Amino acid sequence: MVEFQAVQQRGFHNYYDENGNIAGFEFKFVPRYYKGLWFTQCRFGNVEVDGEVYDRDCISIIYDGIAYSREELFDLKRYWQFRTPIVVRVPKKGGLSVGYHDVVMNFGWVLNYNGALEKEKDGSGLGNMAHMFGTKNERRMLLCR
Amino acid sequence: MTEIKKGHPSRGISVYSYQALLGRTMTLDDVFEEMHDTGATCFEFLTSYIEGYPNPSPKWVDHYWMLCEKYHMQPAELGHWCETHLHRGPKMSDEEIVEELKQDFRLANLLGFKSLRTKITCTNVLCDPEPGWQSYIEKALPYAEKYDVRMQNEVHLPTTLHTPHIREEYLDFIRRTGTDRFGFNIDFGTFQTRAAKGMEDNPMFHFDDVSKPEEIVEFLPYCWTCHTKFTYMDENCEETTIPYRQIIKLMIDNGWSGNLVSEYEGVLAYNSDKNIQEFAKAMVGIPEQVRRHQIMMKNILGY
Repeated sequence: MVEFQAVQQRGFHNYYDENGNIAGFEFKFVPRYYKGLWFTQCRFGNVEVDGEVYDRDCISIIYDGIAYSREELFDLKRYWQFRTPIVVRVPKKGGLSVGYHDVVMNFGWVLNYNGALEKEKDGSGLGNMAHMFGTKNERRMLLCR
Repeated sequence: MTEIKKGHPSRGISVYSYQALLGRTMTLDDVFEEMHDTGATCFEFLTSYIEGYPNPSPKWVDHYWMLCEKYHMQPAELGHWCETHLHRGPKMSDEEIVEELKQDFRLANLLGFKSLRTKITCTNVLCDPEPGWQSYIEKALPYAEKYDVRMQNEVHLPTTLHTPHIREEYLDFIRRTGTDRFGFNIDFGTFQTRAAKGMEDNPMFHFDDVSKPEEIVEFLPYCWTCHTKFTYMDENCEETTIPYRQIIKLMIDNGWSGNLVSEYEGVLAYNSDKNIQEFAKAMVGIPEQVRRHQIMMKNILGY
């Protein structure tokens, strides 16, 4: 079971490197859409926290225990199961402070529904479904550690 | 003149109706129990709800069949997507597309589904299909025969039964090939004459040109499962924006005995992830809406 919001508070915390230093923060994300998606059709955007932008090419997407870059996911012919969260890992020296944070996950996808086919074949955009479902997923969350 | 034997459609539910709750507050087991409570006898599933899709574990498949048996539910239709753009760059080849289709046909066969809602890639809000679909669908027909499934293109508002591509492309294809493995899932929303309660401001839907009930008759021979769409059921268990009784009478009088699956697609689902209040409304309201619809369907069908 997941929380009803796309950005999940369960799993929101800083993470540590092998020396025990805080190396960044991570949270879970599950699309609001009614179906699962092939990762090849997913279009991951930037992460924003309290207005600060973290570039999509600097974040890692962890699915089933394996970390992928955005670029790698374009070639991952694997199905992202419905209501199964990914972990979004964002490097940031020192991590986030304990307290409330406004987290935004920008995400879109490509699908064969009710709209023009994806125009940006290089995947630089956020897919062809934004006109129906938007791409911005926001949540205010409390970080404890 | 031979009298047409009256049809006897099955009364079912689309699991999609509960999609806003599935995996959030309801497990698949909960959904089956809920469907069983309504007296429905068949259901529509989506490939997305198959755990481990496209390679479910034997354990999951066993559990799925256990649920079907425990709750006396017959698989009716599997909703799937005919993917043609799985990767960046050009459209997939016919052979690649057919391989994807075969994978879903095998799964449908494994899970007991005889009909499929096959989503063909479309290019605009009227769902005009991406050119070239006839080529790969025709190549897939022998495999549909092999796995005993029938592909159905969904006719969904704002598409009507007289939208040009329905007749000029899909019906033409069926008649040219003579196939009984391709047809239509006619979503009852295509007959909707006005917005239902709570949906008045939805810009996606217009009701100035909708299907007329009598149009359905010509399509019934190519139709095995239909979505009995609804967006609001009132306290008297009535839907007042779609001429349900007229459509179903036409189906029965013309000998149609397919599956009618209730598909809820109303404001409770659209708003469910906006805030905690809306989610709470959906949690209580969606199962109730489906129950109301099933009562109406039972009143219409008599069973």
